Amino acid sequence: MALRHFFKHLTILTSSYGFCTLSSRFIHPSLTTLFNNINPKTQPLIPTKFSLPLSHCYTSVSHPSTSTLLSPYLSVRIRCPKDIADVFSEALMCFGATSTTVDEDDNCDTSNEICIESIFPESEDVDVCISQAADSVGFKMIPSYEVKTGEHYDWIKKTQESFDPVEVTEGLWIVPEWKTPPDVKATNIILNPGLAFGTGEHPTTRLCLLLLQRLIKGGERFLDYGTGSGILAIAALKFGASFSVGIDIDPLAITSAHHNAALNDIGLENFQLRLVSSNTSSPSTDEHKDIQKQTSFEAVAESEHETYDVIVANILLNPLLELADDIVSHARPGAGIGLSGILSEQVPCIIDRYSPLLDNISVSEIDDWACLSDTVITSCNTLSIFAVTHTRTGINVYF
Amino acid sequence: MSTLKEILTRRPVAATIRLTVPAGGARPAPPVGPALGQYRLNLMAFCKDFNARTQKYKPDTPMSVTITAFKDNTFEFTVKSPSVTWYLKKAAGIESGSSRPGHLVATTLSVRHIYEIAKIKQSDPYCQYMSLESICKSIIGTASTMGIKVVKDLD
Repeated sequence: MALRHFFKHLTILTSSYGFCTLSSRFIHPSLTTLFNNINPKTQPLIPTKFSLPLSHCYTSVSHPSTSTLLSPYLSVRIRCPKDIADVFSEALMCFGATSTTVDEDDNCDTSNEICIESIFPESEDVDVCISQAADSVGFKMIPSYEVKTGEHYDWIKKTQESFDPVEVTEGLWIVPEWKTPPDVKATNIILNPGLAFGTGEHPTTRLCLLLLQRLIKGGERFLDYGTGSGILAIAALKFGASFSVGIDIDPLAITSAHHNAALNDIGLENFQLRLVSSNTSSPSTDEHKDIQKQTSFEAVAESEHETYDVIVANILLNPLLELADDIVSHARPGAGIGLSGILSEQVPCIIDRYSPLLDNISVSEIDDWACLSDTVITSCNTLSIFAVTHTRTGINVYF
Repeated sequence: MSTLKEILTRRPVAATIRLTVPAGGARPAPPVGPALGQYRLNLMAFCKDFNARTQKYKPDTPMSVTITAFKDNTFEFTVKSPSVTWYLKKAAGIESGSSRPGHLVATTLSVRHIYEIAKIKQSDPYCQYMSLESICKSIIGTASTMGIKVVKDLD
């Protein structure tokens, strides 16, 4: 009896993975308009009425973090002696701070003090927290501090400023919306990633794009499983695919992808985006009727189960393992599949899971990250899964 | 022991950031967003990297991560396993420790629990040089400050 109790509570490593990575927090929809409105050069391409149906639809989704995500946070600047800075910041974390930052400020060298900048949720009582933390490290006085309310506008703007045009490979550039492409004749993908994954700088995105260049010869139907900002779906079209579909469980990702498609002059006749719920892997048409009326996303009827010639899934290990059957079910026999978002050490696990379904598995790696490429096994053919991995040494191994 | 090459190419550090993020759940929103956005770090890269490396933990386990931001907008980070107090609370199935530690006992745990927690903690970068016995002793110490009693066998 004791053993059962013991194992129940200590199962930290679990075999049942939740599909948590993309959907754990529904970010409040109006954050997207915030992102779109900040771009210095362009006007928001998505009209504000667009965001209202989303918020209307998702009020019924009860999730604890939606209310706190857009509320202003408290940013507290504390001065304390250098020697206890480390311990003090750990104590602050225990007593309610969401993050602490210790500046390596050269100006503070002369004095004995150092500044800690800490972020608290708005509801937290900063006084109590700081005095408790000071108490627990044995510091007699309460250090001086000042409280500011931080707005999300600030850090969002700073993050956007750090995007630069990126050359993935010869003749392929990824350019942020507010900068001009350095090489106008090359294939340029214009992006505003917003809060979705896929800015083009990450090695897994790079590996997937290189893979796409090899796989897409013209006229294929492409599925981007876990599309994020839509970068892979858009790239496939630019390389010559005839039809591209991107699916994701994060509504913000769908919005970003829609926006990016418009930026690259891609119309709805060969580009579609679908929001799928995270519980099942098939799109649910009922919840999103309101969205569809106003944003013209295509609903997928359950009866038509389309198959694709090329599928790429750049997500994470656990979702890849869990959704293996679903991913392969979307592929026609002999199609090419790419799997990425996994570290080199996670490759054997993926190979184990996918080898009954796929053949000709080849692995390419950049910097610790891997990309598996395979072809689908049908009764006679096999799929090669390209797993895109990231390796630090920059060695690409293509079989 | 840093090599000479490492010392010469060491990048100037801009800041050290400590955060608590649920495993597999890093997103470019608070708490990650404001803290890293301040130093113009690549949020997406951090989120993706962090999520990939914490795949083997149960989702939403609070992991403490320390990020070293360099002045050239690059960064490195180390992920530590959840705190001992969190493990103890999970093992005992309680929400918070005792209100009067030392006087009031909140719950009891067996040494087997402590041993398992010590094994997980041994893979932490800070505890690798310590023997399992000394890690156990420090866990028992933490447990007693929370009002958790450790007995040899739970009956």
